[in-house]
Amino acid sequence: MISDFITMNGYGLFVWLSFSIVFFSCAVVYFKTKKTLKKYEREFLVELQALTLEEKNKVLENSKVAQQVLSASFKKN
Amino acid sequence: MFKFFSSSNIYFLIQKLIKFINSVFFLILVIGLTFALILSPPDYLQGDAVRIMYVHVPSAWIGLACFSLITLLSVLNFIFKIKNFYFINKSIAPIGLLFTCLAIVTGSLWGQPTWGTWWAWDARLTSMLVLMLFYIFLILSFKLLNKKESIIKVSSIIAVTGSINLPIIKYSVEWWTTLHQPASIKITGSSSIHSEMLLPLMVMLLVFLLYAALIFLMKYKTEIIRIKKKNIKRD
Repeated sequence: MISDFITMNGYGLFVWLSFSIVFFSCAVVYFKTKKTLKKYEREFLVELQALTLEEKNKVLENSKVAQQVLSASFKKN
Repeated sequence: MFKFFSSSNIYFLIQKLIKFINSVFFLILVIGLTFALILSPPDYLQGDAVRIMYVHVPSAWIGLACFSLITLLSVLNFIFKIKNFYFINKSIAPIGLLFTCLAIVTGSLWGQPTWGTWWAWDARLTSMLVLMLFYIFLILSFKLLNKKESIIKVSSIIAVTGSINLPIIKYSVEWWTTLHQPASIKITGSSSIHSEMLLPLMVMLLVFLLYAALIFLMKYKTEIIRIKKKNIKRD
């Protein structure tokens, strides 16, 4: 039963290879995209922290995105 | 109405959608794989090799759908100058390229046991290869050009030119004698695929669509942060 499932009546190599390539490629793209997103979030926070208090307040007042990135970083920490 | 589509609201919505997709994705993936690899029956001619269809067909459909969407948004952006469309296109193009490449590779792996060859210069296969090249040109235009106006112009030209290839892909199996089989699933008219195979195919399509949406949302979120980072002093 299990060997039938693995060999797929002689087509196992093609079937498993297809599924593996698809899932491996998708996983690589997912982790690469996530890494880039985290990198930009980090860089944005660094730039935000580098501002003077007055500038920072102004940015936070005008940008909801900045508020959300900052609050997300607080939640993580 | 337009205020709703501001980057802040979109950013908030993206976060909610990413959370939602993450919460349902693995459950649907497990259901899809169970159907595709265990519960669906083997084909009377192709045997278990038919299971490759559950990753090949959704990949090809998404590859085509992404390019159609890019063309539509490029034309709309060119006419109405909606800057969000440019960022949407930039986020969709890598997803389309990924799925087009996967459709070609899995098609090749399906072709060997069923046709006895990995590749043939058949109309459907060649037109899919051309689609992949258009995706590469499109991504290169986003990466290599500096001025946003030039990027929009060049990418729109590539998208519109590439869209000529879309009906060729769709009807290649009818217009020419090809190794590739004609479409088994038709939106209008009756499909020749059995429901026991159609259901797993639709579940796998949903899995792929959720994955594509997740990657798109993450890429679009990155674009929003990148712009906000650039304009931080102006905010």
